[in-house]
Amino acid sequence: MSLCQSIDTLAMAYLDDELVAEEHRELELHLLGCVSCKAHVENERAELSLVRKALVAPPAPDMLKMRIARALDQEDRDSARATRRRLGSWLLPGSAMIAAAASIAAFVAIKTAPVSHKDTGDAVATATIRTHNRSMPLEVQGASTGPWLAEHFRRVEPPRFATPGIQLLGARLTDVSGHEAALVHYKVVIGQNQFRLTTVIIDNLSSDDLAGGQALKVGDRTLHLFQQPDGAAVTYVDEQGMGYAFAAERLTPHELLQLVVTSDLIGRAQRGQ
Amino acid sequence: MLAAREKRTEFERQALVHVDALYGAAYRLTRNARDAEDLVQDSLLRAYRFWDSFEQDSNCKAWLLRIVTNTFINEYQRRKRSREVLDAATAEQDATDGILVHAEANDRKSPERALLERSVSDDVQRALDALPDDFRTAVVLCDVQGLSYKEIAEIMQTPVGTVMSRLFRGRKLLATALREFAQAEGYVREETRNAGAIVEDEKTVDLEKYRAAKAREGSR
Ligand SMILES: [Zn+2]
Repeated sequence: MSLCQSIDTLAMAYLDDELVAEEHRELELHLLGCVSCKAHVENERAELSLVRKALVAPPAPDMLKMRIARALDQEDRDSARATRRRLGSWLLPGSAMIAAAASIAAFVAIKTAPVSHKDTGDAVATATIRTHNRSMPLEVQGASTGPWLAEHFRRVEPPRFATPGIQLLGARLTDVSGHEAALVHYKVVIGQNQFRLTTVIIDNLSSDDLAGGQALKVGDRTLHLFQQPDGAAVTYVDEQGMGYAFAAERLTPHELLQLVVTSDLIGRAQRGQ
Repeated sequence: MLAAREKRTEFERQALVHVDALYGAAYRLTRNARDAEDLVQDSLLRAYRFWDSFEQDSNCKAWLLRIVTNTFINEYQRRKRSREVLDAATAEQDATDGILVHAEANDRKSPERALLERSVSDDVQRALDALPDDFRTAVVLCDVQGLSYKEIAEIMQTPVGTVMSRLFRGRKLLATALREFAQAEGYVREETRNAGAIVEDEKTVDLEKYRAAKAREGSR
């Protein structure tokens, strides 16, 4: 394979400093002897410099810096208030998630439910359970779900589960207690049992917007388990402010929690993505 | 509340120092000063709320840019689209606001120079407007922020090959538009206009594919 054939790729990676030492050497050697590749690289270099010069952006205005400082002050005051009223939660040591998941049942069983001061969490949990129990038609099915969500809702990957036998069915848009939300359905097959799992996704939340019920810490992540007369729900808000609520009618609350903890959602977060 | 104060200090030390860089990215992504300010403030507030989840040894600027990019993709794009449909006049007002912000700085220069700089900067925003969103995002992350292909791929959740091809085409489109605007305004002579290549859609750039092909060849 001659370098001339791949010069578009190589010139670009060379100018962006993405070539490894050996590739870098090889290309520079080639440029010494190949007039047309040499001309190509110089042309690309000029064009890159034109683009980069044009894109130099102004610094942040001082007014913006002041606005940000004020917003952070406000946030500090809000969270100081929230800390005072927050009740206890557990702490699982380390990030040994799978081991943690196995022991969740015992943890949850001995914990009494703290009173929730935020009713959003409760409302979303209730709405998720209701929506789950009410079968609604899907707007997209199967593998197109991710791209469809990116186009119609948000750029968000539907959670994947470590438990075998869980298959993504599809999604639809909906409204969950006043929030624009995406509803993602899964088919769960465990032994002879077949049932559905619902995930509701809501964007633009703060970390404790879906708090309430029983709080559970896994590593540095906090999940909330809601047990209500018509079913259970688990909620979680990720670092981007994307909130997830899960419900599945045939699972016990502990099984549902276990499912969520072993999903890639918590895994993603644990890897610090 | 010692912990809270420490959090704020750490956040200021590690995150707020990047405010100019974040604003630069936001300014090029949103193409107007007002949206850029809102985007930076929203993103930093979001980052502050989730500061505990930032891995202390990793690249803070890349983490913040991921939040800026995601917030932009998820909210500002949608907001802008719906606004365009509802009220074209608002968008025009935004563009004017964008210029007014920098009017003061321009006052100190000669009027000709101020005029020239303003129109060049308008050209850049116009050229950026014409780019597909994904191309623009890739170009901004690479050429305004200096992120690596891999970092951009993680932020945009696409393979490195896709990043390269968006970057390649985005830059070509941008360079062509910039040269055309400059030509129309008479800033550059004819010969520089034809110096760069035109956009060739069929060209593929993919370092991973190149490496794979090379490895296959080597093992034969
Ligand atoms: Zn050559």
